[in-house]
Amino acid sequence: MTPPALLIPIVLPILGAAIAATAGRAGHGIARASASLGVWGAAVAVVAIWLPVRSTQEISLGQLGFGSPFDLRLDMIGLVFSLAVLIPAATLLALQPRTWQENTVAGLGVAAAMAAIEAGGVLMTAVAGCTAATLVVIQLDVEDLRAPRPSWALLLAAWLALAWAGVVLQVVGGTAVYAAVPVSAMTVPVFALLAFASIFGGGLVPWRGWTSAIWSRTSLRAAGLAVATLQPLALYLFVRAYELGDGHYPQSWLNVVLAAWGVLVAFGAAARAQAATTRREYMAEVLPGLAGFALMALAVGSALGLIAALILTASTAIIVIGIALLPDRGGAPSLLVTAAAAGVPPGLVFGGRILGLGAAIEAGGAMGLVGLAGVATWLVAAAAAARSVGLPAGRGRSAVETLPRVAMMIGAAMLALGPALALAYLAASAAAADVMNVPALAQATGLGTIVTESTVVPVVSLLGPLLVVGAIALALSKRTGLTPRTGEPPPLFPLYAAQAAARIVNALRRAAVPSEYRSLFNPRALENVAAGGTPLLWLASIVALAIAVTR
Amino acid sequence: MTAVAAFVAWIGGAVILVADGRRGLALGLGLVTAAIAGLAFAAGQHAAAIAVLAGGAAAAALRLRSGPPGWGLTQPGSTPRIILAIVIGILALYFATSLSTGDGSPLRFAWLVVIALSAARLLDCEEPATALTAAATLALGIGAVASLPPAAAGLAAAIVAGLVAAGISALPEVRPHGA
Amino acid sequence: MEPELAVALPAAGAAFAVALRPRPRLALILGAVLGAGGVAAVLLATPGAASNLLGITLSLSAAGRSMLIVAAISLAFVVILAPVNAERSALLRWGLAGLAGMAGIAAAPTLEVSVLVLLALVVLQATVEGGRPHARRLRAPAFAVALIGLGLVFARMAGPPVLERLAAVGLVAGLTAALGALPYMHEFDADERTATSPIPWIAFVGPVLAIVVITRTHELVPSAAGAVGAMLIGLGLLNIVWGCVAAWRTELPGAAWRYSFIADWGLAMCGFGLGVAEGEAGALLILYAILLTRLPLYLWSRQPMRERAQTDRPVNLLVAAALAGSAPFAGFPARILLLRAATSVFWPFALVLAAALLLWIPSSLRLGRTMGMPKGRQMAGIAVALAFSLALGLYPQPLLLLAGR
Repeated sequence: MTPPALLIPIVLPILGAAIAATAGRAGHGIARASASLGVWGAAVAVVAIWLPVRSTQEISLGQLGFGSPFDLRLDMIGLVFSLAVLIPAATLLALQPRTWQENTVAGLGVAAAMAAIEAGGVLMTAVAGCTAATLVVIQLDVEDLRAPRPSWALLLAAWLALAWAGVVLQVVGGTAVYAAVPVSAMTVPVFALLAFASIFGGGLVPWRGWTSAIWSRTSLRAAGLAVATLQPLALYLFVRAYELGDGHYPQSWLNVVLAAWGVLVAFGAAARAQAATTRREYMAEVLPGLAGFALMALAVGSALGLIAALILTASTAIIVIGIALLPDRGGAPSLLVTAAAAGVPPGLVFGGRILGLGAAIEAGGAMGLVGLAGVATWLVAAAAAARSVGLPAGRGRSAVETLPRVAMMIGAAMLALGPALALAYLAASAAAADVMNVPALAQATGLGTIVTESTVVPVVSLLGPLLVVGAIALALSKRTGLTPRTGEPPPLFPLYAAQAAARIVNALRRAAVPSEYRSLFNPRALENVAAGGTPLLWLASIVALAIAVTR
Repeated sequence: MTAVAAFVAWIGGAVILVADGRRGLALGLGLVTAAIAGLAFAAGQHAAAIAVLAGGAAAAALRLRSGPPGWGLTQPGSTPRIILAIVIGILALYFATSLSTGDGSPLRFAWLVVIALSAARLLDCEEPATALTAAATLALGIGAVASLPPAAAGLAAAIVAGLVAAGISALPEVRPHGA
Repeated sequence: MEPELAVALPAAGAAFAVALRPRPRLALILGAVLGAGGVAAVLLATPGAASNLLGITLSLSAAGRSMLIVAAISLAFVVILAPVNAERSALLRWGLAGLAGMAGIAAAPTLEVSVLVLLALVVLQATVEGGRPHARRLRAPAFAVALIGLGLVFARMAGPPVLERLAAVGLVAGLTAALGALPYMHEFDADERTATSPIPWIAFVGPVLAIVVITRTHELVPSAAGAVGAMLIGLGLLNIVWGCVAAWRTELPGAAWRYSFIADWGLAMCGFGLGVAEGEAGALLILYAILLTRLPLYLWSRQPMRERAQTDRPVNLLVAAALAGSAPFAGFPARILLLRAATSVFWPFALVLAAALLLWIPSSLRLGRTMGMPKGRQMAGIAVALAFSLALGLYPQPLLLLAGR
């Protein structure tokens, strides 16, 4: 397909959103169909663009005017992340009812996310990413103004930081185009800005960030789309950072710090999950936990780690659909989705985590310790998942926006895909080759086996029988009635600092200038002085300026 | 001669600063006009001088039409303004003769005092006629700045200044709603 | 003769609109025709080409010409989609007078003539009946003219370098005072008619004036460029911080809008002060956004503000995003350009600027709510303003090329 076709995955969701808006205003009920078809069309288009060529395609459409050319590019990394955004978005848009306004904003947000992924340079990614973030905030506010949502200031700060990183690359290296930035321009400060953008743009924080908080909303329609759109973008930036550094981060200690941060994110999520009081609270920590493990794997710095991260990212994209469609009650759907997300073997998440932790331990040294910490975190997460089965449901969700059977199928599919890990590995390694050198060893992996530097993992023979046994066990199991619970099961360990931290945060939020000092900051008083009858302030300012410049 | 004209400019500006009545304002405007025109003439800018003279004279004459009656000089409360006029004059003298170099110090002094005194009047008046007179004076002062060397478009500035000054004085008084 | 027509035709349109006040429809048609003629003259004018039809050499710079075109576009769609309780012919009358004045300021051969035209506009505005006393309405902008005049005097004096720096002080302070930015804020009554309030200075005439004054300042006092830049940046930061915080915390929504203009001007002043091409381009984008987005939105917010209607609907949030400088609206590429300029000149300043950019958010959310629940023409106007901001945000290249960047 010709390079101008790269515009199609961006244009189709916009078209779908425009039709949704027009039809919605006119009272026609096709908003949902048009928005979801637009995003599905984009998903099909992105695959259709990639498949015939199977290599990087680029197009340059001239200068935009703010120092960034309008460059679009689709390589395999872009394909993976595009699908990671498009598939969950398209599914949720199709399956959940929304107002035409929500459909419109959601479609535009997906288009912006696509533009961020297909962008050929850092600046355009920043513009598109900020657009996506703004539209996510608007979408959340349209659904429910009073419910928790990401801090718009923090999101804007994150994408401004990325824009600044792009600007620094231009000043230092002469360009911010991913494929053209000189390695020497990718310095620690630039990486720090990019890391800030990723971490706060995607909510990848060890404390309870927006990616957890939004799951406490009454309706979870917009929450699912928000996480599905913004979290992959955050990880995408870290992947592109490898390209900017020719396969490496500027300093090796950055890998260790970032991997440790990823483990902290995962541990924070696991710790909160194991202390959850309702199943909804537990589910709120699933996606942050998955993101933390993906970040850890990504930060290892090896091809294996990146491959694991890509597998985990793809898995998360599917699981977010399941979580968004789950009702707030127990049963098989909740059990299967929980198991898939927790990394119960033989699921794909299990395989991805094994590879990621293996990569960390293979790297040795400090990274090895991080890997061990990751193992411990996984154990806590598994305990939390097991505990969640006995938790009360939560506040309940509207039945209209839940599809328990679909969620169940997704959970089951994620568990059943475990034996196909080698296939996923092959695909991910081809993608990873876009940004770093993938050893020949990794490329030689067959369909049933994964070969790493330190070991050989026969995934089919290992996970296949496990799948069969699990399926047989499920088939032979009998449904029993719910036994009345006398209370939630106790957590593995209480969160001592959580309440204190929450109190401090609330105190900071309520902080105000004491009343006796408020007159120090009084716009009306200053205005009266500045524009009053005797403009002493004007004359004093002139004198001050004169003194300042003539010294 | 130019020194006298500069001094007259200062007197005119000071009168505008101190006067509250239409006659005093017209007198001040007339003095400033005469001074500026004289200085422009002495600098060889004959056409500019005529333009300023015509515009300023018209402005002064039109000022007699509206405003508080009488001269309004040395009204109660005018002492600070008199002192201010003296201070401005001293400062302008310092900048024009001591700090700056080259010929034309009377010119420089005149432009400084005209603009500074009209600005001071703008900051300290409530009467529309006074404010408009100060604005007209300011216009003449700025237009005449262009005749300071190097002056490529002094004539254009002088013509525009004359027109603006006359036009300002021709405007009717405005009272606020409810005043 | 295009520059002459660019001044004369809008002026004639304004004059006819005044004379035909008892017949507003005819005034509107005639004013529109003459105004369109003036805009056509601006479009046909070649940047930098001098015209001497009336014995005065007039020429439009590329940046001034682009600003005039943008101002005309803004006036056109504000008149076409006028707020419900606003009289179209009155809007056109004042807009054309402003446009004629702006053309005169931009086309004038020297800064003295530009300032005289400004003074004429100042006095004309003060002469219109309004709530505040005449002398008080005249005070601040006329004082600005005086400051610029003093700056011109010092610029023409030969002597030690301190004189050029004093000239720079006069010119920069005068420009700030003309705009009504801190610390030379004009007296403001939120209930006053827009035409007689300080808003036209900061939102309509100000952009062209700033371009002219800053360009001429660099020509008049080239050795004081550093001082000019430092003052612009210092005043710019002051206006950013105070403008944003005051817009967020002040009691009256109308005053919040005024402070939001001040904050945007702070950003533009920083851009001009940095003295590099990207900074100036960023500043120009900010000014275009003020003309095409912030000013029209302010006008459409006046009626809901009077009705005390505040809502939080998608359109209010979109307005907030546009006002906050969030992508994909015009403020974001402007901020990118400013960050680039700051990084190339002095990177710690970029850090300060980046932090300051977040201050726009709380006030923008507040201002977005003041749009109320727009319907009909108001909704159409808001949509057009946001569309302009979107176009400028995604593809500012054409306008920047028009401005000679």
